[in-house]
Amino acid sequence: MKDAVRRLNVEYRFNLSDQEIDLVAKQAEEAALLFEPLFEVDVTGITPLTKIDKRVKIAKKGKK
Amino acid sequence: MKALDLDGLTISEITPLIRKKQISPLELTRRYLERIKKLNPALNAYLAMTEEDAIAAARKAEREISKGNYRGPLHGIPFSIKDNIATKGVKTTAGSKILADWVPDFDATVVERLKKAGAVILGKTNMHEWAKGSNSINPFYGTSRNPWDTTRIPGGSSGGSAVAVAASLCLASLGTDSAGSVRNPASLCGTVGLKPTLGRVSVFGGVAGTGGYTVNHFGILSKTVKDCALILRHIAGHDPKDPLSADEPVPNYTKPIGIPVKGMRVGIIKGGYFNEGLTGEVARAFEKALGMLKTLGMKIQEITIPHIDLVPALQAASTRPEANSDHDHYLRTRPRDYSPGLLYNLIAGLLIPASVYVTAQRVRRLLCQEFDAAFENVQVIVAPTLFTPAPTIEDCNRGYIEADGKRINLADRAGNFLTRYTIPFNVTGLPTISVCCGFSPSGLPIGMQISAPPFQEGTVFQVAHAYERAAEWYRRNPQL
Repeated sequence: MKDAVRRLNVEYRFNLSDQEIDLVAKQAEEAALLFEPLFEVDVTGITPLTKIDKRVKIAKKGKK
Repeated sequence: MKALDLDGLTISEITPLIRKKQISPLELTRRYLERIKKLNPALNAYLAMTEEDAIAAARKAEREISKGNYRGPLHGIPFSIKDNIATKGVKTTAGSKILADWVPDFDATVVERLKKAGAVILGKTNMHEWAKGSNSINPFYGTSRNPWDTTRIPGGSSGGSAVAVAASLCLASLGTDSAGSVRNPASLCGTVGLKPTLGRVSVFGGVAGTGGYTVNHFGILSKTVKDCALILRHIAGHDPKDPLSADEPVPNYTKPIGIPVKGMRVGIIKGGYFNEGLTGEVARAFEKALGMLKTLGMKIQEITIPHIDLVPALQAASTRPEANSDHDHYLRTRPRDYSPGLLYNLIAGLLIPASVYVTAQRVRRLLCQEFDAAFENVQVIVAPTLFTPAPTIEDCNRGYIEADGKRINLADRAGNFLTRYTIPFNVTGLPTISVCCGFSPSGLPIGMQISAPPFQEGTVFQVAHAYERAAEWYRRNPQL
């Protein structure tokens, strides 16, 4: 990940210090770990959510 | 006017008096402006006052009302606006250094609609830098202070808006909520905070880079649930300028208020999601609130949301790439005009693969389906708004709080821990309100969220109002 941050540092001209590159790389590594479980979910046939629709099934008062 | 006490005053109380010409909108506006001048130096709720415009709007309201042209319940009512919502001719900084001098030449649709309803805009409120955080410790404009204890944060990112409402520096405020930024400060400052359904309120005029697209909402901070319902009716509805705004009709949201809630079913999400970090004082207040709902005749039952633990990943995978899309230009041209922490976060966000973003949007649909299934058995879902009452500014600077003999970090790899309890309702877009559900032993407010199916804001208001009137926490005001 550090190499990827270094590449961005050059492309965007951030002028990051080595310490800053370490910090950003650590954050990116932690994020990658956070996202891993998303790929374990079976999303076959599920399209991305882009808008919230009014749904029809709503519980009625007192009904279980 | 002399007898009028601004402390705790609500829109619902003042509206009939304005209508009957017993209270002058001009005098009311002047009183709020005086109060802001007196208290804002200590609270830092407002970044800018729009005194001349406010006086002009109030004078116009007074003239119209005296001629019998009363526009409705927001006519002559003083509001504040979070500083990432565009206001024509008034600086809109988004709490950033980069936009320090930006003056929009247009109003956000919500501001336009408030003005059309005759509201008076008193000024722009302080916020977390670019709305990317929830403590409102702003390195460029100073920290907004919690009016219940000024050594503590007000929450955020709409921190200044919550302070302004709690401290009676306006009657209501508009904020934005992409991770809890309306509900979080509402909870910590003891106000009402509503995040409507995604698309219910146009987000046209929101500053790009302060909320993204798929989880961002404009919301309302007010003293009471009824006030919130009055406001929503005026700002909701389709907007051709916002392609993601919904084309659903806008009902009279005050109609369900006062309808008994007896027999309604309340869902509590099973599992550990809302127990993670939960402090004893919030747990006790929440339990008591559930007891009050039972007293009102509601039935509590546990529900299951199988993928709830993926919410922090979904939130981060959605908002961070969207933020980067908006920030790319400034990252290339003015990177050092971000605070260092935000800059590092944005750079790390550039490394999130597109497949993560798209997969997250697919899992979000799955999660929404799980909430839909739960709502076949319950009318509302309730949860604490935050795991803790307001941390001190010092807690936030060192990165943790100590509670119940434990250290709880305020951020982890899943992101900002202060938003953990609010983000499930951002990634699902569900209408959710935070109402005060008690106070800590040291006198700090605690909030409870009430959520309903999409576009069922009326149900949210019905339950929230019933609880608010029974518990009466809204009667407490900070001593200033």
